[in-house]
Amino acid sequence: MSVKNGINGWAGTILRINLTTGEITTEDTLPKFRPYVGGMGIGYKVILDEVPLTTKAFDEANKIIFSVGPLTASGAPCSGRTTITSLSSWSKGLSVVDAHMGGHFAHNFKYAGYDAMIIEGKSDKHVYIKIDDEKVTLEDASELWGKGTFEANKLMAKTCGDEFDVCSIGPAGENLVHYSTIITSRGNSGGAGMAAILGSKGVKGIAVRGTGAVKIARPQELKLLANYMIKDLVGGNNNHNVPRVPQTWAEYSATVNNRWQGAPGRKWELAPHGAVDTGEQPSGQINVAAYRCTKGVQEFGEVALKYMVKQGGCSSCPVRCYSEYEMEPLADYDLPVHASNACLPTGSGQQGFYIKGGEHKFEGFHDFKYEGDGKIIIGGAGSRAMDDYGVDTNYNNLPRDFARLYKSGILKEHMTEEEWNELPWELMEQGDPRWIVEIWKHMASNKGVWAELTQGSYFLYKSWGLDDASKNSAGLNFYDDVDSNNTNVTYNGYPKHHSAEDAWQSGLLYNLMYNRDCMDHVLTNFVRSGSPFEEVIKPVMEEYFGEGVVDPPKAYTPINDAKIRLAKWAFLEKQWHDCATLCNWMYPMTLSTSPKRRYRGDLELDSKYMTAVLGEEYTYEDQLHDMERVSHMLRGMTAISFAINEGVKNLRDTHDAIPAWNFDKDPDIPVFTEGTDKMDREDMEKAKTMFYEAMGWSTETGIPTRETLEKFGLEDLAAKMDEYGLL
Amino acid sequence: MGEKGKYLDKEYTRRQFLKLSGKSLAGLAISATMLNTLGVTAEAIAEDKVRVWAFPQGLLVVDSDRCVGCQRCEINCTLTNDGCTSSYISRVKVTRNLFSSRNGSGLYTDDPWTYFPDTCRQCEDPACGNACPMQAIYVDESGIRRVDQEKCIGCGACQAACPWHMPTVNPVTHKSSKCIMCGACVEGCPSGALSIIPWDKVASAAQAV
Repeated sequence: MSVKNGINGWAGTILRINLTTGEITTEDTLPKFRPYVGGMGIGYKVILDEVPLTTKAFDEANKIIFSVGPLTASGAPCSGRTTITSLSSWSKGLSVVDAHMGGHFAHNFKYAGYDAMIIEGKSDKHVYIKIDDEKVTLEDASELWGKGTFEANKLMAKTCGDEFDVCSIGPAGENLVHYSTIITSRGNSGGAGMAAILGSKGVKGIAVRGTGAVKIARPQELKLLANYMIKDLVGGNNNHNVPRVPQTWAEYSATVNNRWQGAPGRKWELAPHGAVDTGEQPSGQINVAAYRCTKGVQEFGEVALKYMVKQGGCSSCPVRCYSEYEMEPLADYDLPVHASNACLPTGSGQQGFYIKGGEHKFEGFHDFKYEGDGKIIIGGAGSRAMDDYGVDTNYNNLPRDFARLYKSGILKEHMTEEEWNELPWELMEQGDPRWIVEIWKHMASNKGVWAELTQGSYFLYKSWGLDDASKNSAGLNFYDDVDSNNTNVTYNGYPKHHSAEDAWQSGLLYNLMYNRDCMDHVLTNFVRSGSPFEEVIKPVMEEYFGEGVVDPPKAYTPINDAKIRLAKWAFLEKQWHDCATLCNWMYPMTLSTSPKRRYRGDLELDSKYMTAVLGEEYTYEDQLHDMERVSHMLRGMTAISFAINEGVKNLRDTHDAIPAWNFDKDPDIPVFTEGTDKMDREDMEKAKTMFYEAMGWSTETGIPTRETLEKFGLEDLAAKMDEYGLL
Repeated sequence: MGEKGKYLDKEYTRRQFLKLSGKSLAGLAISATMLNTLGVTAEAIAEDKVRVWAFPQGLLVVDSDRCVGCQRCEINCTLTNDGCTSSYISRVKVTRNLFSSRNGSGLYTDDPWTYFPDTCRQCEDPACGNACPMQAIYVDESGIRRVDQEKCIGCGACQAACPWHMPTVNPVTHKSSKCIMCGACVEGCPSGALSIIPWDKVASAAQAV
C-alpha cells in the first residue's frame, strides 16, 4: 500500500496557507469535515466557521478554498473536478459561490495528500503556491505577473518540473475583474470571480505534484464498477446515451443534435500521423468510449473535424469533451493556432460579440479555409484569448449584455468618445478574429466602461438603470423583457443554465437556488439525450420518480409531487457532484447506452463507488441525506448574506423572485398548451411552496427552519442565523 | 491447460515470430513490413506515432494519436497492482508526458496535443537489473522482469539506470516496482491508444510477409 495515511477515500489532510504571515500548516480532514463529505461541503464549513459574512470578496479576511472529495482520483470515472469556494464579488447578496474546475489538477492535488487548501490573508509580494507533496512553498511570481495564463502556466510547469500540474490567473484576475477565471490544462477553468480573489491576495497561480496515492478499501470492486459504468452506462458528454448518427448496433439514433457525435467516417482529421476514424462505438465496449463525444461537431458541424487533432478532457474521464484543435488560418492573423474547449467558450461566447443590427455593418461570418468554418475559427481565436486574459462570461451574460447595449445605443452613451473610437469596429464588420481578441483585452483591463461591463450584470443594471425601463434611454428592462438576449433567471445577476425550457418547473426551481448560474446538468442530461421520449425517457423517469414526472418538449403540465421530487433530487445531486467530487455533466447515471437494460441507468452507482472506496456501506439514502445538509448550509448562508447586504429576511420574494419574461414569452400561446415552454405565475408560486416544504424550509421565507437545521446537526448555522433574526 | 502452459504456448509463438522477423527481443526493433500487415504503417513507426513492445499476450502497441490523456491506464494499473490509485507509482506512465514533458511536448508546451503512455521495454539486457545492487530484478518463467519485493532496498539505482526511468520507488513502501505485463492498462483504455495484438495474429501476419 502506498498511501501516506490510513484513511480510505480521503487524503486526510487540509492545507492552510496564510499569505499575510507566510505560515503554512496542516490539519486533519476527519472527523471534523466528515458530515460535509468533501469539496463544496468543506468549502462551506470553512466559510461558515471562519469568514464572517459581513466580509467582502477582496477583503484580507476573505478566504478561498480549493477542495476535492472522497471519490476524487479514486478511479471512479469523471472524478477529476476541483471545487473552489469563496464569497461572490458580483451577484446580489455577495454570498457564498463555487467554481468547478476540471482538467488534471484535482488528481495531482489529492495525490499530494490533500482534501482541501484554505488560502487566507494577503501576500505583500506576488507569489505562486508550489505544492510538492508535503513540501509547500510560496514562490516569487514577479516574472509571471502581467502574463497571460498560457504563458504563466508554461513557465510554472517548466520551472517546477515535468510531473507538476499548474493553474493560474490572467490579467483579469490580477486587475480584480469580477468576471475572471482560473485556467488549468488547456482551457479548463474555475470561474465565478475566483481569479480576482486570488489576485486580491497576490497569488498568480498554483503548481502541484503528488507522488502519493488514494487508498481504496476494495480496489477490485471499484475497478469492476468503473468498467461496468464505461461499458453499460456511459454515452457521450452529458451522458447522452444514443448516437447522433445511426450505427449498426444501435436501436436508436438521437432525436436532437446531442453530444454523441462520433461515427464511421467522422475523423479526427489533423491527427499527426493520419486521420483517426471515430468509427462505431457500441455499448458494452470500453476501448471505444473516447470516440463517442467528438464534441466540436455538435457546435460547428462536420467542418470542426477539419481542425480536430484529438479529444481531451479531465483525469479519469473516458468521455473526452474537450476538442483539441489546430487552426492554421489563425496564423495568418498572427494569432495562436492551438485552441481547446467544450461548448460555450468556443461557441456563442465568441460569436456574440459580432453583432448584426447595430450601426456597424456585420453581415455574417466568412469562410477561412473551408466552407462554413467562419464560426469555428472565431471560436478558436476567442476562446484562446478569453482564457489567456482569464475572463469569465457569467455563462454568456457578458456577450448578451454587450449585444443589447450596443444595439440599443446605450453602450455608446456610456462610452467616452475615445473608448468608442479606439475600438477597431471595422474588424467586427469584416468578421476578423482579431476583433474578439481586442474585446477580451479590454474586458480584462478593469478600466473605464470595461470595468462597468465586467462588474457583473447585477451591479451594471443597477448603475446604468437597466433594471427599470424608465431609467434608460431605450426603455429596456434587462431582467423582465422578452428578448433573446435576456436569460436572467432571477434578479440576482446571473442567467438560467438549463431551466424551464429543458425541464419545466423542476428546472426553473433549482436555477433559483444558487448565487451564480446553477451549473446543474442533472435534468438536461436526460432531456437532451436524444433518446425517444415515449419509448425511453418517460418510462425510465417514471420508474424512478412516479407518474407525471416528465413533460414532452413544449407541452407542459401544472406542477405535481413527482416534479418536486425530481427538482429536489437534481438540486441534491448537484451538491453531491461538487462534494464527491464527480462531474455534473456526466452524473448521475440516469440513462444508459444499453438496449439490454432498456436504457435504464443506475442512480445508486455513486454510492456503490463510495462503499467500495470507504470499505463500509454508504447508501444512496446516506448520499442524499448528506447533501440535504450541504444544501441547508448554502441556503442558510445565503439568507444571512441577504440580511446583511440587502436588509431582507425573506429569500422567497427576493433571491428566488423570477423575472417576467419566464411567464410572458409566447404571448399568443396559452400556458400549458403545446408550443410553449413558458411558466405560469400562480403555478410557479405553488411549485416554490411545495419545494420549500420538501426541503424543510419555511414556505413563507424559503429559509431552512430551526427544526430542519437541528435535524442535520447544523446548530452552529442556526446560531448565526439567530443573530440576524432569520429563524 | 494451466496458466503456465498458456504462457509457454504464447512464448513459443513469440519466439517463432521473432525468428521470422529476424529481430531481437528488444521491443522497438520489429519489422515494419510485418507491422504493416497488422494495420500499423511503416510511416507511423518511423515518425514515432506508435511504439511497439513484445508482451506475453502479444504485441503491445501504443498509438500517441489516439491517446486522450485521461490517465485511466495509470488508474487501472495501480488499482490492479497496488490496491490504490496513483500516477507516480503506476507502471505505465502518461502523466509525466502530459504537462511539460522532457520530450518537449504536453499541454503546457508549444506542442500541446502530443502526449502518450509509456512503459517498460522488458529489455533483453536490462539496465535496471544490471544496476541493482541486490540483484532484486529477475526474469520469471514468462520472460517478464519483476522486482523481488523482499530483496529490494528502495535505493533507486534501477530508476536512475533505466534510460526511460520506468521502475519507480514507492515513496511510502520504499520498494521499487515496474510493469509486469498484466494488461490492466490495455483493458481499461477508452480510446484503444493502448492495444495488444495477440501472438497468433502476429505469427500469421509474419508468415504472410
